[in-house]
Amino acid sequence: MKNSVFYFLFLISTAFGVAQEQKMSTAEITAFKNAVNTVAKNTKSLTTDFVQYKHMDFLSKDIETSGRMAFKTPGMLLWQYTKPYQYSVIFKNNKIAINDAGKKSEMNVGNSKMFAKLNKLIVGSVSGDMFDENEFTISYFKSAEHTITKLLPKDAALKKYIKQMELYFDKKANMVSQVKMIEPSGDYTTIVFKNKVANAQVSDSVFTN
Amino acid sequence: MRRFLILFLLISSCLLTSCAVQTVKGLEEKTPQATTYTTTYFSNPETDYVYKAHISVYGKDFGGIFIAKKINDTLYRAAFTTEFGNKLFDFEITDNSFKVNYILEELDKGIIVNTLKRDFTLLLKANHNISGQYENENNIVYKSGDRGRYNYLFTDKASGRLFKIVNATKSKEKIVIKFSEENNILAKKIVIDHKNIRLKISLNYIQ
Repeated sequence: MKNSVFYFLFLISTAFGVAQEQKMSTAEITAFKNAVNTVAKNTKSLTTDFVQYKHMDFLSKDIETSGRMAFKTPGMLLWQYTKPYQYSVIFKNNKIAINDAGKKSEMNVGNSKMFAKLNKLIVGSVSGDMFDENEFTISYFKSAEHTITKLLPKDAALKKYIKQMELYFDKKANMVSQVKMIEPSGDYTTIVFKNKVANAQVSDSVFTN
Repeated sequence: MRRFLILFLLISSCLLTSCAVQTVKGLEEKTPQATTYTTTYFSNPETDYVYKAHISVYGKDFGGIFIAKKINDTLYRAAFTTEFGNKLFDFEITDNSFKVNYILEELDKGIIVNTLKRDFTLLLKANHNISGQYENENNIVYKSGDRGRYNYLFTDKASGRLFKIVNATKSKEKIVIKFSEENNILAKKIVIDHKNIRLKISLNYIQ
């Protein structure tokens, strides 16, 4: 859980642009991992806004939802949608608390296998698991503005839900500015982070819903 | 013998009363004026019908996003994702057919698939063959056969708006769909309520 906290720092930054991607060298990959680790270790709290785009091939346009996220060591995480509806999830003390427009529920992380699986993408990118070579085949790319990691699940169960996950790191901050989760069907979810604030005072009361 | 006969008649009448579907009780049966009724909800192929969904099943609550889309004259897509965007199911539905494009393994159980199939086929069914018609002061109700069951389509006399569908056997109501806060082509709030199982699906339009 402590590790989850550190790596949550990844999920940050501002701009995103699509550009030519090049494979990174071994030395570049090592330097990148070190830089990300350093940023993660030095980030005790983080708040950021996000916009989520759900793409499905049959839709006229992506479904756009947005909200904010807050993280604080040790192991407190808020994921909150505010538009176009109110829905928040809090991870704290190995428990998940959900507030769905006033309807509250709580569960133990260990007891909800399905929830854990379904949200592995979101929560996993917060935890260090996403860089786990045992869990994923990882390839590293660079563009003008981003370092891009592409993760292919190795686990058969996870493969059913996720074909590939892509994390776009802002080069300057070495934090995640965009996450793309591609389903086996080719439909995907993109989450773009903006207005990131690191190491500001974040009250514990933020992590109650 | 006579006491038995009275008892038999009493029991029979009780059974008959409780068995007769209550859906159109108090309404006057009329000769149908048309052979088909066509619903107008979900009818615009340009529109993504996106709803925030709440599912309450046997005391447990789930949330998600429900999406319906008219693909062509006969075909609809009905999909469901979590708030985080993970797809839970994706169906292709026509008035007469049903195809699972995707369903999460944990949900891929006969009873779940059949329930979802019946619910969303009923919700998206555009053309109903009318076999009966009932009226009162404010409403016209069309009766339509549906694979061994009946659909009762409640419309408002003044506006023509469909506000309720009751799916029933000869004796019991099984599914009730209510449409509210809508105009004729967009139902902003939909509730799918089951009478035989503790399952309720509430949909609120968000896009």
